[in-house]
Amino acid sequence: MGFKNFEGADEEFNLEQMEAETDAMLRLRYLNAENATFARTPGGFVSLDIVGEADAVSPEHYDRVRVVRSFPFTAPNTYISIRTTEEKSKEIGIIKDITKDVSKETRKMLEEQMNLRYFTPVITKINDIKEEYGHAYWDVVTTEGPCKFVIYMNSSSVVSLSDVRLMISDLDGNRFEIPDYTKLTAGELKKLDLFL
Amino acid sequence: MNLNFELPAAQRSAFKPADGEEIRYCSPCDIGTDGKLTHDRYLVVTDTRLLVISGTTVETELQLSDITYLKCDPLVNNGLLVAKTVQNPEEHILARFTMKHVSRVAFVAKGALLLRDGIKKQVISREYDKTCPICGRALRGTRECPKCSHKPSVLWKFFKLCGAYKLWLFIIALLMVGVAAVQLLVPKIQQVFIDDYLKPGRGGWAEIGVYAVIMIGVTAVTILLHVLRYWMCISMGTKMSMDLRAMLYKKIQMLSLSFIQDRRPGELMNRIVDDTRQVRRFMEEAFAGMFSCLISMVSVVIVMMTMDWKLTLMSVIFVPIALGISVSFWRNIHRRFHMQWHRFDKTNSGLQDILSGMRVVKSFGTEEQETENFKKLTGEFAKIQERNEVFWASLFPLISFVMGLGVYVVTYFGGLGVLEDRFTVGQLQQFINYTWMLYGPLGWMTFLPRMITQLMTSLERIYDVMDEEPLIRDRENAKDIDLKGEVEFKDVTFGYRSYEPVLEKINLKVKPGEMIGLVGASGTGKSTLINLIMRLYEVDDGHLLIDGTDINDLQIEKYHSQIGVVLQENFLFAGTIYNNLKFAKPDATEEEIIMAAKMANAHDFIVKTPDGYNTYVGEHGYSLSGGERQRLAIARAILNKPRLLILDEATSALDTESEYLIQKALERLTANCTTFAIAHRLSTLKDADRLVVIDGHRIAEVGTHNELMEQKGIYYKLVTAQLQMQALKPEAAGEQAAG
Repeated sequence: MGFKNFEGADEEFNLEQMEAETDAMLRLRYLNAENATFARTPGGFVSLDIVGEADAVSPEHYDRVRVVRSFPFTAPNTYISIRTTEEKSKEIGIIKDITKDVSKETRKMLEEQMNLRYFTPVITKINDIKEEYGHAYWDVVTTEGPCKFVIYMNSSSVVSLSDVRLMISDLDGNRFEIPDYTKLTAGELKKLDLFL
Repeated sequence: MNLNFELPAAQRSAFKPADGEEIRYCSPCDIGTDGKLTHDRYLVVTDTRLLVISGTTVETELQLSDITYLKCDPLVNNGLLVAKTVQNPEEHILARFTMKHVSRVAFVAKGALLLRDGIKKQVISREYDKTCPICGRALRGTRECPKCSHKPSVLWKFFKLCGAYKLWLFIIALLMVGVAAVQLLVPKIQQVFIDDYLKPGRGGWAEIGVYAVIMIGVTAVTILLHVLRYWMCISMGTKMSMDLRAMLYKKIQMLSLSFIQDRRPGELMNRIVDDTRQVRRFMEEAFAGMFSCLISMVSVVIVMMTMDWKLTLMSVIFVPIALGISVSFWRNIHRRFHMQWHRFDKTNSGLQDILSGMRVVKSFGTEEQETENFKKLTGEFAKIQERNEVFWASLFPLISFVMGLGVYVVTYFGGLGVLEDRFTVGQLQQFINYTWMLYGPLGWMTFLPRMITQLMTSLERIYDVMDEEPLIRDRENAKDIDLKGEVEFKDVTFGYRSYEPVLEKINLKVKPGEMIGLVGASGTGKSTLINLIMRLYEVDDGHLLIDGTDINDLQIEKYHSQIGVVLQENFLFAGTIYNNLKFAKPDATEEEIIMAAKMANAHDFIVKTPDGYNTYVGEHGYSLSGGERQRLAIARAILNKPRLLILDEATSALDTESEYLIQKALERLTANCTTFAIAHRLSTLKDADRLVVIDGHRIAEVGTHNELMEQKGIYYKLVTAQLQMQALKPEAAGEQAAG
């Protein structure tokens, strides 16, 4: 609080601006169908207009926003953070529940953006898992097509997100998901056995 | 990392290059517009165009000159190539790809922008691919896939390396043949004993005694030969890994800093320590065993054939079967124990996590919860361990049984032979013994492929460093000059990566004895400028002249011995203060050292320590404060009376008083010595003859303190900002104390 005394006396430092930034940092603004309008851009992204802010000096408009999940594994539909695109991305607002707070059309639009952002093919069939010198070579079929990838043979490569849900990370940093491994066939389970 | 993939024929047919238009970059983009994984989508950059080709259709075609913005946008587990063009000024998606290609596309995008600007410099990536782009095999820190590159193989180099140990190898081979011969002899002796003497009425005390003595003698010889062989192998392995280590170390010292900075510090360490140990272990454990097994197995089979070829065939038939079963068994066991080991690792790190975070656990009162968590972890580990041990205990005897199948067959048919009087009992015993010798090493031999692979990976990593050519080395006819201290930059351009210039078109002439203060925000290239003067890197463009001679034409060692360097973080070697100071000038006298220490304001604190100049510093020695370190470094730098002194934040860790004292001392020293100084505390530079402000990769302002203050440019702003900071500090501190 000691800095307050210097306010105004010291324009070079602009303490007021720092205070404003702190305020902005602490603000939790919820976006919903009333105050936010999303629209598709020709380039394949979404833009955002915010209306109805009481203290808004000028209407807020963003050419392109990032749509980011706060809890990508545990709550993919709630607390969706809408952010600016620059490197030091700032939060514009949060959508508390994408299934309730926005229109169906908007929801579809935002889900498209999230599918773009999060690329996690779901493994539907395991053809083969071959182990060779510390690496495991997987040959699988996913919701996004057949795929072959390599993982390190260690416990951080296959992580259980719940009792039945597995996430697999390959050498390059791609991720694959098995939503419920108990639903795999006995043959597939046997191949997977090593990682459970 | 390959930035120019071979474009497959299908995609090539879709793309019609103009005359002289060449593909400069090509990367797969393995996610289609529908979000599905694909193999036939490529991003192609030619001299004039950027194309995205899917199958045989061109999805996107842009003239490079139309592109206003091009960037690889890394998302979560995939990436986008985003562009803006003259025709389409909004950001739009060009291509999508998995993590395998994110960094590749980022480099390609940079290359495309350079081509657009008419710069033909080929962007190269020093990063390594994680998996081989051709065969998909995991790569372990080598540029090329050993399976796909087909270059004169590492194995060949390894044989050449072994050539240096010919005598050792010859002796080891002799010893192995000796061991095999003795091993073959033992069953023969037993056979003679059983058939000729071990019958009622044939032998007596004397014969049994002679037999016992012979057996003792043979056993002693076997032991002796074994010991000798192991001894030879171990000393050869040790010698070999020592030689490799020395070669690697020498090579790494010779390689330029850019090579070392491209790698994580632990990586080179691993190559020197772990990979050479791997070679040693192979020489000790596998190398000799491998050949002696082969020799003894082949000779056993030959001897058996001379005895009875039918029976031999029967026992040999089971060798491949036993080998196959044991390979799959070991593979399974290895997998299981590998995972157990990882689980153990996890339990360990969980424990370590909690123990080091004990303060947090206690302050939040979550002991119970953490106990539960740990119990769960160890429980899981115990379960896996139990499962594996049971598996091992129940399956191992079974494997031994299978491995011995050949012996049972030999026993049966051989036994029939004895009854039919085709064999003597002794011969049967001899045969059975040989069969055991045939099957014995099989289990061990199944480990060989793994050991050889490990050796190969290690060798590949070692040769990856050995084959690197040092970028900076003495030119032919390098000049050996005594420095006067004139430094001149002529249109110097430099970047750690050639397409990302850190310094652009630097022009500056420094007279001998001048003191230059380098000023600028962090990351603007001040330290880079100094790195160039130290010749740790070579300039990309333009010339850096020292006394009118191109710096690249100077003899490196001689040049380095005439410059003094003090950095912000100064490295002192483990050893005494005296030795650390002498590092710069090994023949320095005590008087010279004391004078240098006095000049650096270090003499007093050194003498105050119990052991004076003989005080041991380093990991387990006397711990120095940051200021003391800097003072020692200054003393070390000026001991040599350098003609060129480089001070990079050299007095930043000192209090104002000692900084003042050192500055006064340095002033006298630097009177006839060209000095380049970097300091964030601008007051440090107030005595500089000229200040050089670097901003936006270029020299923005040059002049004395007063001249620059009058200009009211960047330097003026920096100085006023620092003055305000100093005004703020005591007030804020006071308030804090009061609150």
